[in-house]
Amino acid sequence: MTPHDSNNAHDNNNYAADQVARASLDHCVKCNICETHCPVSAVTPLFSGPKFVGPQAERYRHGESVDHSLDYCSSCGTCTLVCPQGVQIAELNSQARAVMKADHMPLRDQLISRTTLMGMAMTPMAPVANAALGFKPLRMVIEKVVGIHRDAPMPTARTQTLTGWLKKRKAPTKAPTRGSLVYFHGCAGGYFEVETSKRSIEVLEHLGYEVIVPKQSCCGLAQQSNGLFDQATAQILKLCDELRAGGKDLTIISASGSCTGMLKHEAHEIMGVDDSRLADVSTRIRDIMEFLLDLHDAGELPTNFKTIDITVPYHAPCQLKAQGMGQPAMEVLKLIPGVKAIESGVTCCGIAGTYGLKKEKYEIAQAVGQPLFDMVKATNPDLALCDTETCRWQIAKSSGVRTEHPIYLVHQAYGLS
Amino acid sequence: MSRVVVIGAGLAGLVAATRLAQGGARVVLVTKGTGGLPLSQGTIDILGYAPERVTRPLDALAGFAAANPGHPYNLLDADAVRLGVAYLRELAGPEVFVGDPEVNLQLPTAVGAIRPSAVVPAEMAAGACVDGARFLITGPGQLKDFHPQLIAENLARTQLPEGGRLAARWAQLDFPARPGESDSTGLTFARSLDDPAYRRRFAAAVRALVQPGETVGLPAVLGVSDASVLTDLTAQIGAPVFTIPLPPPSVPGVRLNNQLTAAAKAAGVRIIPGAKVIDHRSSNGRLLSVISATAGTPREYAADYFVQATGGFESGALHLDSHNVVHETVFGLPLVGADITELVHGDYWGPPQPLFKVGVGVDASMKVDGPYDNLYAVGGILAGATRWQEKSGEGIAVASAVRAADAVLAAIAATDQTPARDDATQGAQA
Ligand SMILES: Cc1cc2nc3c(=O)[nH]c(=O)nc-3n(C[C@H](O)[C@H](O)[C@H](O)COP(=O)(O)OP(=O)(O)OC[C@H]3O[C@@H](n4cnc5c(N)ncnc54)[C@H](O)[C@@H]3O)c2cc1C
Ligand code: SF4
Ligand code: SF4
Repeated sequence: MTPHDSNNAHDNNNYAADQVARASLDHCVKCNICETHCPVSAVTPLFSGPKFVGPQAERYRHGESVDHSLDYCSSCGTCTLVCPQGVQIAELNSQARAVMKADHMPLRDQLISRTTLMGMAMTPMAPVANAALGFKPLRMVIEKVVGIHRDAPMPTARTQTLTGWLKKRKAPTKAPTRGSLVYFHGCAGGYFEVETSKRSIEVLEHLGYEVIVPKQSCCGLAQQSNGLFDQATAQILKLCDELRAGGKDLTIISASGSCTGMLKHEAHEIMGVDDSRLADVSTRIRDIMEFLLDLHDAGELPTNFKTIDITVPYHAPCQLKAQGMGQPAMEVLKLIPGVKAIESGVTCCGIAGTYGLKKEKYEIAQAVGQPLFDMVKATNPDLALCDTETCRWQIAKSSGVRTEHPIYLVHQAYGLS
Repeated sequence: MSRVVVIGAGLAGLVAATRLAQGGARVVLVTKGTGGLPLSQGTIDILGYAPERVTRPLDALAGFAAANPGHPYNLLDADAVRLGVAYLRELAGPEVFVGDPEVNLQLPTAVGAIRPSAVVPAEMAAGACVDGARFLITGPGQLKDFHPQLIAENLARTQLPEGGRLAARWAQLDFPARPGESDSTGLTFARSLDDPAYRRRFAAAVRALVQPGETVGLPAVLGVSDASVLTDLTAQIGAPVFTIPLPPPSVPGVRLNNQLTAAAKAAGVRIIPGAKVIDHRSSNGRLLSVISATAGTPREYAADYFVQATGGFESGALHLDSHNVVHETVFGLPLVGADITELVHGDYWGPPQPLFKVGVGVDASMKVDGPYDNLYAVGGILAGATRWQEKSGEGIAVASAVRAADAVLAAIAATDQTPARDDATQGAQA
């Protein structure tokens, strides 16, 4: 059916061998720039760093991995972003890890990758789920049996899903003046971060768009980052079909920074998914702050914002930065009078999707994020901003500071809340 | 407000972008990756060899330029270099550099050779190789690429450039950066030295080795984020301290990169990393936009002016194909110095290779000799220099960056004052 069907992680190293990522390793000039930026090797001697496990060790891999410290790479993507020679270091690492784990994939890694399942199971019994996950003895059992660290951040279940809200809310009163957009909410945006999705949709409607929210499932990012490429590939193609059903040629908007990255480039570059449906979606999808900034650059964003007097820390997630568009939220926040957004300047919060949940990685993830937690607390103890869900949970849990998507302030500045 | 796109985040690109933003332009800096600063010693080399060793670089500049037609120093004179260096010092902050652009210091390298440079990180100043100096060279055995014995013995047997000799002895410390790590990079040591408790233990270990009258030469790993490491260590060791730069990752270079990136952001520069320029649009002899390869779909950055700071062969801005043809990879610009048969001669230790002088040609305002009226070039992409051999890379970078930025700001001011009537700037409104 699709050209990648033979790219099976369980066979051998085929999918990696086929990929441009592997070819790029010959461009490495050993400048060490990637080593200076890696947030994991900065805090632990257990990980030898991107150059060593990437272009260096890759030369010796023939299916079998020669450097098992590879498993400590969090797949944050920073090394690829900063490499001046275009070596796809993070992609190489993710591919090699999938091969390394193929025959002994921990149950834990399979479980935590099933984001939608967790959301669906938790929503109807949200108060119970929240209480249970806040219950220390239970978390200790989970840590022992499953391997999820007892202190790792867990999402707060909501009593209403986004679909529930969309069904129940009053239809927008203003007729659209700017055409239609498709909204991709991601699993978190559908089940846990419902408020972010609501505010995003309301901002887009306020701007004059009709927002279409097709029925949609998971992008498979968590499975991809855990090396479960087959399941992830099936997931993302299903999602592409669903998003495409929202409307032909329409721009797709999302407030899930990392899921957007999966659709834009990771599925193709890491898993080698080479499918016209993915290519179609990946060229049409925009991060919501990227979209707002593009409107502004084109002179089409109303800036009649209310003044909000606030100094607020802003952290750009690594998977957003990896998309090569800078930090659009910073530019949009500058347009709101009174808002003084302070860029965290920290590479990564540590969580990297599901990395920081794992009991053997938890301490490392906390050490990675520590400068960020300190910066956030020192800048504003009441509010921080960040574009990706799991990063927000991590920042909120470890700093104690409430953390929202930047759309939160845009919504408020338009007088919508 | 006029828009300017700067391409490249090395020394030249960061300085040009910041100056443009401070001058009131709306600046976007697009870059493929981090620039060359983390590979550099963090020093500002103006002119080290012409080809013989230079002691007063700015005095030597005019004669050197005259002897090397086509060298960027024919367009950028001593005053241009003074201006560039002064601006860089202002951006980096008052405590970062010491030295004088007029005079070269002669400083020890990681192999114990002696290298000329003019303006250097404060931590290197005490390493000046002058007659009668007494050095103790020491560092952790767990640090890659730092060999105290090699450095000390080479220094001790060298006739100093300005005459006389120095005395140097060495000692190796057993001092890991992190427990259990046996071959750490300089950056790992620098991060450990940011921690005051580690620093105290390190200082105590060094102090135990020092004899009265000695100056201590350490590897250049004195912290990445804490600016007080040098003064703190000097006080605790109780002797003057200097550092010797290491192969990459070079800590003083990483620090300077951080400082200049922060300065650019503070000035309002929008930095877009991971954005390799792959295409552009133009019309009537003006560039309208550049297009970058970005996740998902290419992005277009329109502007009124463009500054190319893409470096040379080392950053992929120049490419030699298998037919011995050199290409400028961003815009396909015409190149100077590429039309010779022997781009690389076989004598590795001989005269400079012609290949490395290939680059783009510019006029005195750094405007590129090529098809576009609004494209300027700065830094390593300029034709005519063998930067690493001459030790001229940073001098050229800062002088050209300031010159180009000021020329663009002047052009913006001129068009702002003469609205509508000036047909030379049509198309700039795009
Ligand atoms: C091995 C070596 C040793 C050296 N030693 C010395 C020395 O001892 N003394 C000395 O004075 N000089 C030395 N130099 C030269 C010096 O480093 C440079 O001249 C100086 O740093 C100026 O750099 P730059 O800013 O012009 O370019 P770089 O620092 O090379 O930066 C180029 C930037 O352009 C970006 N870029 C390239 N192509 C694209 C594209 N298509 N799209 C977007 N971005 C792009 C890159 O990612 C990078 O950010 C040395 C150079 C090398 C390679
Ligand atoms: S940054 Fe790129 S070229 Fe430099 S060492 Fe890392 S992979 Fe190699
Ligand atoms: S992806 Fe992130 S954690 Fe992994 S090697 Fe690269 S920078 Fe380090």
